[in-house]
Formats: sequence, C-alpha cells, structure tokens
Amino acid sequence: MTELGQHLIDALALGSLYALIALGITLVYTVMGMMNFAHGEFIMLAAYALYVLAGLPFGVAVAAALLTGSLVALLAERVAFRPVRNADLSAQLVTSLAVAAILQNIVTVAVNARAQSVETPAGLSETTSIGGLLVPNLEFVTLGLTAIVLGGLGWLLYRTRTGLTMRAAAENFDMARLLGVRADRVIAISFAISGALAAAVGVLIVMQTGQVSPTMGLTPVLVGFVAVVIGGFGRIFGAVIGGLLLGILSSLLGVYLPDGLVPFRDAIVFTVPVLILIFRPHGLLGGEVGRARV
Amino acid sequence: MLELEGLRVGYGRIEVVHGVDLSVGEGEAVGMIGPNGAGKSSILRAIFGLVRPTAGRAVFGDRVLTGMAPEQVARLGLALVPEGRHIFKTLTVEENLRLAAPADGDGAESTEAALGRFPILRERARRRADRLSGGEQQQLAIARALLGRPKLLVLDEPSLGLAPKMIDTIYELLHGLREEGVTMLLVEQNAARTIDFCDRCAVLSTGKVRAQGSRSELQRNPDVLRAYLGRQP
Amino acid sequence: MSGALFRSRPSALVSLLVPLALIGLVVLVGATGTPSLEGTVIQILCNLIIVVGLQVFVGNSGVYSFGQLGFATAGAYVAALLTLPAAFILLQTPGLPHFIAGADSGPLVSTLIAAGVSALLAAAVGLPLMRTSTLAIPISTFAFLIVIYNVVANWDRITGGNAGLVSIPTTTGVGAAGLWAAVAVVLALAYKWLPSGYRLQATREDEVAAGSIGIGLMRERMIAFILSGALCGIGGALAVHQSGVLNPTTFYFGATVTTLTMLVVGGARSVLGAVIGAIAIAVVNEFLRGVENGADLLGVISIGEAPGLAAIGLGLILLATMIAMPNGLTGGREAGELSWLHRLGWPVRPPLVEPEVNDGARPAERPAPGALRAERISLAFAGLQVLRDVDLTLEPGEVLGLIGPNGAGKTTLVNVLSGFQRPDAGTVSLDGTAVTGSSPARLARRGLGRTFQAALPFPHLTGLENVAVGAMGMGAGRRRAVTIATGVLARLDLLRLATVPAGSMPPGSQRLLGVARALAIQPRYLLLDEPAAGLSEEEGEQLTEILRNVLADFGCGILLIEHDMSIVMKLCPRVQVLDDGRTLRVGAPDEVQADPAVIESYLGSNFLVAVDARA
Repeated sequence: MTELGQHLIDALALGSLYALIALGITLVYTVMGMMNFAHGEFIMLAAYALYVLAGLPFGVAVAAALLTGSLVALLAERVAFRPVRNADLSAQLVTSLAVAAILQNIVTVAVNARAQSVETPAGLSETTSIGGLLVPNLEFVTLGLTAIVLGGLGWLLYRTRTGLTMRAAAENFDMARLLGVRADRVIAISFAISGALAAAVGVLIVMQTGQVSPTMGLTPVLVGFVAVVIGGFGRIFGAVIGGLLLGILSSLLGVYLPDGLVPFRDAIVFTVPVLILIFRPHGLLGGEVGRARV
Repeated sequence: MLELEGLRVGYGRIEVVHGVDLSVGEGEAVGMIGPNGAGKSSILRAIFGLVRPTAGRAVFGDRVLTGMAPEQVARLGLALVPEGRHIFKTLTVEENLRLAAPADGDGAESTEAALGRFPILRERARRRADRLSGGEQQQLAIARALLGRPKLLVLDEPSLGLAPKMIDTIYELLHGLREEGVTMLLVEQNAARTIDFCDRCAVLSTGKVRAQGSRSELQRNPDVLRAYLGRQP
Repeated sequence: MSGALFRSRPSALVSLLVPLALIGLVVLVGATGTPSLEGTVIQILCNLIIVVGLQVFVGNSGVYSFGQLGFATAGAYVAALLTLPAAFILLQTPGLPHFIAGADSGPLVSTLIAAGVSALLAAAVGLPLMRTSTLAIPISTFAFLIVIYNVVANWDRITGGNAGLVSIPTTTGVGAAGLWAAVAVVLALAYKWLPSGYRLQATREDEVAAGSIGIGLMRERMIAFILSGALCGIGGALAVHQSGVLNPTTFYFGATVTTLTMLVVGGARSVLGAVIGAIAIAVVNEFLRGVENGADLLGVISIGEAPGLAAIGLGLILLATMIAMPNGLTGGREAGELSWLHRLGWPVRPPLVEPEVNDGARPAERPAPGALRAERISLAFAGLQVLRDVDLTLEPGEVLGLIGPNGAGKTTLVNVLSGFQRPDAGTVSLDGTAVTGSSPARLARRGLGRTFQAALPFPHLTGLENVAVGAMGMGAGRRRAVTIATGVLARLDLLRLATVPAGSMPPGSQRLLGVARALAIQPRYLLLDEPAAGLSEEEGEQLTEILRNVLADFGCGILLIEHDMSIVMKLCPRVQVLDDGRTLRVGAPDEVQADPAVIESYLGSNFLVAVDARA
C-alpha cells in the first residue's frame, strides 16, 4: 500500500512538472494562437543560467534563472514573433522552430554540445518521511511550486485588471483592442510569464537530473505540446489536466512496465495522446484552434 | 467630428469600397444603410484600424485615424458596438463592463452608472455573459461601449437577429442616448428604423454612396428602393 | 489531346528539365572534383531527395510535418542492416534476426526495401495522424520524430542503440545519387500534376471549397504522406551508404531544421523550390561549416572553432525567410511558371487551343426526376434561433430564388442543405435519400454543388485548374477533367482566364469561376450564394446574362440567394422569401416584390406609405 502511495506521489510530482510546461505553452497560445517550439529552449536557457552561476547562493541563482527565462521570452517575442503575428499558424510554428534552433545552437557554441553537471543543494536530494512514505524533497518542492503557481496565476487572471485584459484578449483579441486594451502589452506580459514558468521547469529539471545539455528542452516542449493538445487547445485548465494525465501515465508506466519494454516508455506515452486525438480531435475538454476575430 | 474622405477599402486585389465620403457632425445621428455586401462593415473596420484602407482617409476632429492601431482609435474616444456584439462570453457581465471602464479611479463609479441605466444587466451582473439572451447581449455591448464615455458611438447592425420587441427596446435606448447628445453612426441593413431614427442617412450599394439625406428626402428618392429591391417594374 | 497537363507543353517541359539540369550540374561538380568534394555532393543529393520528399507532403497540403525525418531514419536503418556484411553485423546488433543479418543485399535492393518499409510505416502512422486537425498534425508528427528516436536509441540489440552502426558499405556513387534524385523530382512533379495531387492542393488553397467539390481531405493527405515517407526513406538509405555510419541523431532535430530551411527558402509549393533550396542551403551550410572550423573572415576577424555556428546561421536564415519572404525564392512556382521567363519572351503560357465543346460538359437532355428537399429545418446558434421550421423544395431544371433581409437565415439554410451545418431539427433529402448531417464532400459526390459568398477561389491555381479540380473531385482523370473544364469555361465565357492564377483575377471573375467550378462536378442541384454581391451594375448584368444562358443548358436545379432583385426577377420563375428564420412567402417574383409583407420586412411600414404616396 505504501508502495502504491509512493508511486502516486511520484506520479503527481511528474504530472505537476508537465502541467507547468503545458501552462507556459498555453498562455502564449491563448493570446497569439501559436504553439511555441522555442519554449523548450526557454527551459534550457534558464537551466544553463543555473549552471553558469553555480558559484552563487542558490536563491540568487534561481532568481537569475527566472529572470533569464522571462527576458529571453520577451526578446524572442519582440524580434521574431511580432513580425509574423498575423501570419498563419503553420508559418508561426516554423518561425518558433527557427528560434528554437538558434537558441539551442547559441548555447552549443557558447558552452559545449555535451552535457554539463550542476551541483544541487544538498537538501533537495534528501527525502522526508511522511506517514510512512519516503518523499524526495524535490517532489515536495515541485508540488508546492505548482500549487503556488496555479494559485498565483489564478489570482492574476481572475482578480487583477491585467488578468482581465489577458482573458479578454485570449478570447477575442480584436475586440479587446477595440476597447482600448494594448495588444503589445498583453502579449508581452503573457510571454514574460510563460518564460518565467519555463524557467521554473528548467530549475526543477536541473535539480532532478543534475545536468544540463543543449538538447534538454526537446522532450519537455514535446510533452507540453501533447499535454495542451489532449487537454484541449487554449484551455488553461485543460493544459493542467493534460499535463497531469501525461505525467501520471509516464510515471506509472515507468514503474509497472515489463522490463523488456522500459526503454520504450516514452514511445508508448506519446502514442496515447494520438489515440485520444482520434476520438476527440479537439482534445479532452474541447477548444478552438486559433484566435477569435471581430 | 468624423470625416471620411475618398475612402477605399480592399482585401487583397478585391476592392469593396470605391471611394466613400461621409461626415458625422457633433451631436448628430447619422445612418449608413444598404444591402449586404455594400461595404458598410468594411468602412467601419477601416475607421477602427482593423483593416488598412487602400486610399483615402478617416479623420476624427484633428486626428487622422487611418494607420492607427485599434486600441489607439478607441482611446481617442470612438467606441464600436460590432456586428454580432462580440461580448466576452467567458467573462461575467460585470467583468465585461469593468474591462471597458477607464482604468483610473472613475472605473467603479461608471460601472455603477452603467448598471443603473441598464437594470437588466444589474440583475445579471455576476452571470457569465454567454447566458444572456440576444437582446441582453446587445444591451451589454452598448453599455460596454458607453463606459469609455465615447465622443462617437458606432453601432454595426444592432438589430441583427433580435426579435421586434427587443429591437424596440434597443431603439428606445438609442433615443435616450440621442437626447443626451451622444454622437452616433449607425449601420443597418434594415433601413426602416434607421431612416426613422437618424438625422441623416447615406445609402450604400456596391461600395459607393448612392443617396444621402434626411428621412423625407430619402423617401422621395427612387434610388433607395432600387438599392434594395432592384428596379421597379 | 487538349492539355495532358494544365500548362502548355513547353511550360511543363521547362518545369521538368530545369530541376533535372540543376541536379545534373551538381553531379558534374561532384564527378570532376576531389573525393572529398564528391562525398559532399553525394550528401547534398541525398538531402535533396529528402527535401523533395518533404515538399510532396508539406508543399501540396500546406500542412507542416516535423516527423518526415523519422522516415529517413527508418529507411537508413533498414538499408544499413540489410547491407552490413555478416562479419560486422552481429557484433553491433546481437538481437537481429538471422534472415536480416545474413541478407547482405546490394545497394539497389536495400534502397528499394527501405522505401517500402518507410512507405508502410508512413501508412501506419498516417492513418491516425491524418485524422487529426490541421494544427495537431505538426505536433503529432513531431511526437513521431521523437518516438522513432527513442525506439532506435533504446532498441540496442537490433539497432546498435546510441552508439549506432559503423562499417556500412559505402556504395552510393555520385551517379547513383544523381539518378535517384532525378527519380524523386520526376515522381514529385508527376504526383503534383496528377488528379490526386491537384485535389490535395485544392485542400491547401481552401479547405472549405475543396470539401464542396467532393474532395476527401484525409485520403488525399494520406497519399502524399506515404509518398513523402517513401522518398525520405530512400534519401536516408542512400545517405547512410555514403557516410558508412549511422546513429539515432543522424536524422533528428538538426536535420529536421536543415531540411525544413531548405524547403522554405526554396519555396515550399514547388518542386523547383525544393531543389534550389536544397542546393543553395547546402552551399551556405558548407561555407558556414568552414567558418566553424576556424576561419579568417576577409583576413580581418578570426573566429575560433565553433561547432553549432552553422546551425545558428541556418536558423537565422530560416527566421529571416519566414519574416520577409515566406514564399521562398521561387515564390512557390515551378520553372515553367516563373514570370522572368515570360519577360524573356519564352512562351510560358501560350493561348489554349480552342476546345471542342463536346458533351463532356452537358448532362443528359432530360434530368431524371427527384428533388432536393428540406423539411422543417430549425437551427439555433449562439442563443439565437436562426431558422424556424423552414421547408424548401428544389427540383432539377427549375430555378428558385431565395431572398430576405440580412440575418434572415438564407446562408445558414444553404449551409444546412450543403452539409456545412447540422440542423437541430428537420431533415434534408436528396433524390429521396435522407442526407441530413452528411459531409459536404459526400453531398457533392451525390450531385450537390454550391458557391460561397466569398467566392473562395484556389488562388495559386489557374482558372482552368480551378475548374478541372472540380471534375477531379468527382473522380475524373486528368484528360476528362480538362475536357469538362474547358467546356464549362467556354460556356461561361471565361476561357481568356484559363491560364491566369485565380488569385490575380478581379472579384467578378472569381465569382464566376466559383460557379464554373461548381458546375464541373456536374451537379443535379446547384446552390448559388449571392453570386452578384459586391459587383458593379454592369458586372451584375453580365453575370445575369451568363447565368441565364448557361444554367438552362446544364439542366440542374438552381437555388439562387440574391439581394439584387433585378437579377432575381430575370432568372427565377419562383421566389421564396425568408425573414427572421421563417418562410414569409413563396411565389412569382412580381407578386413577391409587390407583397406588402415583403416590403415591410426590408424597408419598414413607413416606406409603404411613401411608395403609396408616390404611386
């Protein structure tokens, strides 16, 4: 029984991580109508910030990483995404792919193509005992962080004027502008938050794996995409659900999959969403592709 | 107040508005009527910066509107109640209003005033906007437009899809606004009420103004019937 | 033999020969250069094959797949495993079944088998994937890329895992690579000019209009996806037989970005674009790689070793292209379509030979009995009741006008009749068969055609192609489609626009083209949605004349939505008036026009007073 409980907490923690990725991607999707390939590189760059600033106190390094995520996202929006804002979805997707390739290779040139190891604070690799369960501290942090993020995002979106303008812009961008909402500002804020979320994910991944590499963002961004798609495009709640489901599935497969199939865990995990898409082409919770226009 | 000078609007290679001149004076209620496809909505989109005109311009007071982004046009004091209303369905009535209210301290007060003018909205203040009936949505759209205390209120087909009784209610509302001196530009395909209501109407057909004048002038003008129903036998 | 292809003969020939000539040039460079240059050239040609494979799917469907290199991986591994000599193979892949390990195939056989396996894989993967929405395809194909990577990287015993395979026989010569590249180009062009390719392009141009002429979206995408997979598999197989080594990252993210850049920079819609892009970017890439290895730029700046610089350069090129030149260097046109050729006096588009207007365009003399019937149709949308209990009957050979003020529900009714919207209540039947809720494509195949308020032409296809695709939607082969199309165009007096891209036509002509396209499916019932909207008075009159002359000829039943009463008066012996979702009146046009209730619904009771006063 305790073993099951253990596995469930592990699964929940992984699901939370995936939910955070999905959230970051959805935020940008709702205001831009674009699925951002480069989100994985925001994650990666924030992780490298930790690597580069390894000497500094942990808190400072994390703050720097968060800042890095937001700044890179804002920069990408200003330079690369704004010019293609009105292009069709495919064009925006390919543009984000280009940005991802550029960012990934900047790091390869600046640092190294190989993975580098990063020291993690001792406390995080320990476990704490709760009611007979041994829970890695990192998982506490992940769960806690996700809860805080969800709460904070909820507060921002539903209790502040900025959040109101974001929700309105997400539903009908043109109409919001007709009411005086500044398009550029809303998009910039969405990107900044998205970047910060990516950074948080990057930090958590580094804490988990103890290393960084230029290609570390690829699988997370795919996970995020798939979670958004199965949750239903553009639904913030759906993204969270999608992420949780994917994480739980992945984690439980990792435990219960027969030995011979373990290396193929990822393959199986990603085939499931495709099956979901066949029966529910708009995702589990439904959702509209693209933005509404006046 | 608003001047359209030689406005031409096109999408790609297709021109739908072939040089339109129109003016709206302060305190006036001006109508634009004409059949579907005449270009009325395109003219509005050009005024509000949703589409760039291919030639000509729109001038508001001393500012040239053409080339501005929609949010800039809105901040100059023009408010649009678009065709189909486009209220935010995932927001509550109150949130819809709050969004439109000026962000400064006045915000709460004008929202209150709006709810006062539209009692039915006050009743439904906490409901999600997609639960409102067509007529209620229209009222919300108008209330929302008014909140910005616009200098010019533009309405695109406000009676579309509404039951006759509801149309009566809406027009009563508009009458009231008229009394208060709100300047209005009203676009309708249904000519009857518009000609009745407005000081002046311009009849549009296939991208051009075919006739312009007051109610009595238009009722004497055979071009109006022709624009709608084709030549009389 | 009027037009085996839709371009003039010289134009088609040029489109075919120019890319082949470019390939020939590249082969020449490789054959006469140093061995190292030859190796590079072979790699370029293999990449070219992959890019052409990419073009077949992405260019024709307008949908991006990020997983095509997964097929290159599959093809590469299959070819490698089949050709690795027995001495080396079991060391690297202990789990490999003996019949593969001992196969020791030659290069040609292994490449062909690789193509076959890739095609099968594409079929298996495409079946679920092509069902998903247009935005979900890029994401799910990206997932496929990563899944393939994972499988190959983890299946140590069969694939050699992360370490990969070495000592693969290097059998690809520059001549073989060039030959395969030529084959790929020919296949890609052939597919593009076949009915199937045209149907897929129609879905790219306008998904809605394509449905209205009977085109099956999923089927057409599948065909291109499978062909694309096969070509990518071939490219992978040949490449691996040049380099001699293979690992999971050979055809992974980096290669995906590179090939995509090649396609986008060249121009995704044309095969020429794929070829030019592949060569141009490869050259740039080589230059950048040279810089990577440490170079003196103009003797001024010294850059140290920097792997990854080339990739940054390519990424920047892709970004710049997406922002500034999204249609690529060729603008999506084949060699025979480029305008500069025309300026040189080259006969790019000679006038069409006068077609024999044969009975390809005329249906039987007397249409079989039957009717398009809508009964008690009701539909509510976003809280508004748009249609209430509406009946409508249309018989072959008759013309029925549908009028009413804006918002009355006319277009919605047509959408319900043509399968674009589902009614909440009521039934639609076509010649006795209940068809409520059938898809537009299925209805088209049953003989229901329609036009749209917004014309919805296929902008990058010529006038003739627009109409011929209509016939192809019904399964006609190329020759028959051209015959039907020229016949229809001739009758609608649109022949002069046959070689003009629809996107360049004035709106009136685009409208007429839409009508022609709908006629090409040889419908029994034709629904025309405001064909005259936005036209000038003269254009409207022209339209009326054409409609009057032609429609009687074609014998279909016509439902005409129009606001312009003069047109309705001239064409429709019977008129149905909708107001506020209900049928107000059905009768002869002059009755309807003078009916007080109708006048009131449009202009209000005040007008009646005025009209009476004037009368």
